[in-house]
Amino acid sequence: MKEVSNLKKVLEEGNFAVTGECGPPKGADPEAVLKKAELLKDKVDAINVTDNQTAIVRMSSLAACSLLRSAGVDPVLQVVVRDRNRIALQSDILGASAVGIRNVLCLSGDHQGFGNQPQAMGVFDLDSIQFVNVVKNMRDEGIILGGESLSSPPELFIGAAANPFADPLPFRVVRLAKKINAGADFIQTQCVYNLDRFEEWMKMARDRGLTDKAFLLGGVTPLKSPGMAKYMNNQVAGMDVPDEIIKRMEGVPKKKQQEEGIQICVETIQRLKEMPGVKGVHIMAIEWEEVVGEIVEKAGLMPRPSTAQ
Amino acid sequence: MTHSKGPILALFYCQNTPESSEKERQALEEKYGKSLRLFPIPCSGRLDLLHFLRALEEFADAAYLITCPEGACRYFEGNRRAKKRVERTRLIIESIGLEKDRVGLVVRSREDRRPLAELAEEVVDLTSKLGPSSVHKKAA
Amino acid sequence: MITAEQKPIDEIREMIAPYKKLLVLGCGSCVAECAAGGEKETGALASILRMANKMEERDVLIEEKTLDRQCVRDFVIELDDIIGQYDAVVSLGCGAGVQAVADMFPEIPIIPALDTEFLGETREQGLWVENCLGCGDCMLYFFGGVCPLARCSKQLLNGPCGGSMDGKCEVNPDVPCAWQVIIDRLSSFGALERLEWVYPPKDWNKKQGKGPRKIIREDQQK
Repeated sequence: MKEVSNLKKVLEEGNFAVTGECGPPKGADPEAVLKKAELLKDKVDAINVTDNQTAIVRMSSLAACSLLRSAGVDPVLQVVVRDRNRIALQSDILGASAVGIRNVLCLSGDHQGFGNQPQAMGVFDLDSIQFVNVVKNMRDEGIILGGESLSSPPELFIGAAANPFADPLPFRVVRLAKKINAGADFIQTQCVYNLDRFEEWMKMARDRGLTDKAFLLGGVTPLKSPGMAKYMNNQVAGMDVPDEIIKRMEGVPKKKQQEEGIQICVETIQRLKEMPGVKGVHIMAIEWEEVVGEIVEKAGLMPRPSTAQ
Repeated sequence: MTHSKGPILALFYCQNTPESSEKERQALEEKYGKSLRLFPIPCSGRLDLLHFLRALEEFADAAYLITCPEGACRYFEGNRRAKKRVERTRLIIESIGLEKDRVGLVVRSREDRRPLAELAEEVVDLTSKLGPSSVHKKAA
Repeated sequence: MITAEQKPIDEIREMIAPYKKLLVLGCGSCVAECAAGGEKETGALASILRMANKMEERDVLIEEKTLDRQCVRDFVIELDDIIGQYDAVVSLGCGAGVQAVADMFPEIPIIPALDTEFLGETREQGLWVENCLGCGDCMLYFFGGVCPLARCSKQLLNGPCGGSMDGKCEVNPDVPCAWQVIIDRLSSFGALERLEWVYPPKDWNKKQGKGPRKIIREDQQK
């Protein structure tokens, strides 16, 4: 297999990694995916593709990642356990590896009640931690659940998500440890606005030796308006947007708000760069992919290592 | 005898209602004849949906309950529970197309020392306006 | 216990419309406990059905009876002498009860008046909550007596997920995050380290593996 994980390479070589994100379309047109890829290519080391996010039906992440791969991008396949049982999940892992996908992010997924198919049955046959472990055993031992051997193992850099801001705080690091012990090579966090609280969490992670065992990437999302900041703080589970950030967004005239949001994002990234144990940043500019290049540039992270060669 | 051709009211009342002894009850039933049937209960909280429904099914055009004032129930919450059950009964009868107001509640206020006779008259007036219930389609 | 709620009256009336001689059959067990199908509720349903028929001048016989349990043949058999008088039975039993009666008297339509919901407890008067899935492989020991399969919206064995906030589940703010409860419970026992272990995938074979389940105890048989 020629393809390698660029993300893995960048991290193992000691560089501060940058990953982006793209959501597949609510339709079958491959162009929609490829256009987003064009905006992000060379600005990031790898691109996450979401999996029916918020339980809304979209083009499958696996198909979208395959398109990205053929466009020369290093995709991170996000897989939620909500929609597929262990048979389908293991099968998709083999399929992903076969089409050259080299990174996978194992997630629980938003509950089906949130999306546009609330009558659907939520599968949850495996949870995200069990899934990480399954992928690890497929890759390293060449076996599926139950011990039967694979004819050829998948090649994947395994990731998991972490939310430093959801309760209960003291247990969050235990869960992080579980994910890493189960086999996660890298962790991407939920987007960070409260850097003090994030620092606390990072300290706990460092004290437990977790930052030596896995590559931790801090998540960021540029704000577009004070309304967005308030919405995220109040309506999105596990999100903490401090008052000072909201005030900053409210304190500028409407046509300067996006600029301020970008600025806050850049400052956050700069602080993350200084934080020991943080090995990269994951930029989630939802439906605002065109701004990622500017953010990466202003944060002093251009050019990306792969393009510099 | 008055109201003998009018609608029939089943009136349930807590025995703590002023001037509601057996003697007063009999006098009222004589006064109103068939139009009023009185049912004393030790506490309004003892009233079950079934009592109202059976009354409406068998003979009554309306069924009401008189309770003690809020906070003055001898058994503490009886009147509060009664209120909730009355509300549920109203919804149940509405679901088959019977007017909600055929079932109701009179909550005496703390200052209200009116005797049963006066309360009964008030409810009779209220419910007679509803006319006969379509459950009791009497032959002409 | 098994919990249930009464179906809307219109739905019940539609199902019983063709029949002229009905028995409204209650159950004194679980459904009485959750105030859906016990003797009182059975009486109330029979009464309201009779009233509705009177209003439409439909001449239908509606009688009522309540069994101790509808899910035990020894009780259901009490109907043997009388069931012939009816052309249908409206059962206020749970799904198990309705079917037990239907299996014993297959020639007579047994119509469900309730929607059976969940295995749960009476948390307080007037409040019933789900707490057991009947998975056939009880893990309550590991989770301090709180079942993550029944009480976590995502059935996580290695929870919580990222949506746990202020001890509430992201799916429904009325629902406590089961994992918060588990963590608090195990902490109070000084057993929080039990959660550091990665619990392996659930064996669903014990619930679904061979289709609908049964239990046979020869020592209990005649």
